[in-house]
Amino acid sequence: MNNKIISKRFGKLTDPASVSEYRAMGGYTAIQQAILTEKEHILEEIDKAMLLGRGGASYPMGRKWHHLYENPRFPKYIVCNADEGEPGTFKDKALLSLDPHSVIEGMLIAGYLFSADEGFIYIRGEYRTIQETFQRALDDAEQNGYLGQDILGVKGFNYTITIVSGAGAYVCGENSAMLNSIEGLTGRPRVKPPHLADIGLHKQPTLVNNVESFANVPVVLNMGGEAYRALGTEKDGGTRLICLSGHIKNRGMFEIPLGMPLDEIIYGEEYGGGMASGKPLGFIHFGGQSGPIGFPEQLEGLIYSYEEMRARSLAIGSGALVVMDDSVSVVEYLESVMGFFIHESCGKCTPCRLGTTRLHELLGSFVKGRAGQEDLSRLENMLTHITNLSSCGLGQSVATSVRCAIRHRRNEFAALIGN
Amino acid sequence: MEQKLEIIHKHGGKKENMLAILLELQSISPEGYIEPETAALVAQELGMTKTRVYEIASYYAMLKVKPQAKYVLEVCNSSPCYFSKSDTILHILEQELDVEIGKATADGMFAVHYTPCVGACDIGPVIKIGDMVFGNLDEEKIRTIIGELRAAHVSVLEEVRS
Repeated sequence: MNNKIISKRFGKLTDPASVSEYRAMGGYTAIQQAILTEKEHILEEIDKAMLLGRGGASYPMGRKWHHLYENPRFPKYIVCNADEGEPGTFKDKALLSLDPHSVIEGMLIAGYLFSADEGFIYIRGEYRTIQETFQRALDDAEQNGYLGQDILGVKGFNYTITIVSGAGAYVCGENSAMLNSIEGLTGRPRVKPPHLADIGLHKQPTLVNNVESFANVPVVLNMGGEAYRALGTEKDGGTRLICLSGHIKNRGMFEIPLGMPLDEIIYGEEYGGGMASGKPLGFIHFGGQSGPIGFPEQLEGLIYSYEEMRARSLAIGSGALVVMDDSVSVVEYLESVMGFFIHESCGKCTPCRLGTTRLHELLGSFVKGRAGQEDLSRLENMLTHITNLSSCGLGQSVATSVRCAIRHRRNEFAALIGN
Repeated sequence: MEQKLEIIHKHGGKKENMLAILLELQSISPEGYIEPETAALVAQELGMTKTRVYEIASYYAMLKVKPQAKYVLEVCNSSPCYFSKSDTILHILEQELDVEIGKATADGMFAVHYTPCVGACDIGPVIKIGDMVFGNLDEEKIRTIIGELRAAHVSVLEEVRS
């Protein structure tokens, strides 16, 4: 795409942590504008932008922001979820390392809007060198008066941002688990409701948004909500950072306008460029390990937007597209996916802790040709149980990909049944 | 001891910096883990029980409560890497080092483990050694990496990265 929006500074800054370089490319103008604007007007622009959360759950950002704004309790906290851990996803890494000030400016606008004094960014432990870059960016922002006391001369606009490190737990990407982890507790999810906008960090109203979501905030304010929405489709505004991996020719991160045909993403020379092996497409795993799998016959004429994807029981999720050519057995693929969930289940609730292991064993018995006649219905029952009985989003979504495969490739499972 | 206290105080001795503190303490541990004395010190300085420190240290995959090999080679086995031949990479490592996955070499120099996604799927298959990620691996690159580690030329590794 010629007109990159959110990745326009990528690779163009000599030192991405430098405020002056960020400003030279249009940075910190949105916050300048925000402090001169009615707060309700900022919320209106976010609403008009039709910006859906970029973390994975795709929750409308405007709705989340209104919820917190209307809560009369203070202090409020701002938290940025930078625990990017969905396999196949590496776009937050790019934002944090190549344009950290765009994330800081988004968090700063949130701090101003919600009159919060403290913001936290929870960065996964594996990104330790990125944490260093981000800290330098925070230090430079403070030196230049964008963080600290009476920011930009606005009396009482006091705001700091603190980095909190993760240490290798996928489940901490779940917002409530993340807040526990920030509080120094073990990073296990909380029971919801209450909504985090009511009872969040230290039991106070809290906003949790993804890195890419925050980075979009200055863009929305700069260009106006309506113009931002118009980059995408009627109901899904803006652009998305997507990550192509697996058997695709051009692996990497790309910015696309929402509403681009999937075929262009996968086969366009500017994007995926087709399969590396030249073999036909086997399937695509969308949005990380917790996301759905799509098969070629489902993908025909598909538009990559939240709405169109949902209409075909697919999802954008984290923006990952793990592309497999037809040399891969989907059942073997699922065994690998389930291996991941065994490792990442936090162990708090039994259906997820044991269910992931049992699913892995059962998928393994299909792969090895040891599955019996009843095992396919057993597998389906287990999928229902683990989804309905698990307490958090992790356990509730481990079955997603398996269910897609059974629905569309039942014959492949059946063919693996021994005697 | 003093160095450890310095690390704890640098992070304000705050519970919210618990993971950063533990990761940094682990990075200066000669055997790459949270030693019992370290856990006791953290408990004392952060005003919590040693059991709580261990609960946290044993929960997170990057924190270790047992001694580790000098160089831990972590092979990513999440699906984007796994289906980009990370199993081949593992076999080569096992052969070159004469070690099984999950175990350390007899001299305690190397260990090979699996790791979930490190966010480098565009250059898979990858291995992670400390903070460094090595991608687009093949047999030759792996031999180079192991050779350099054996000769303790860690800095030279920069050249074969990515």
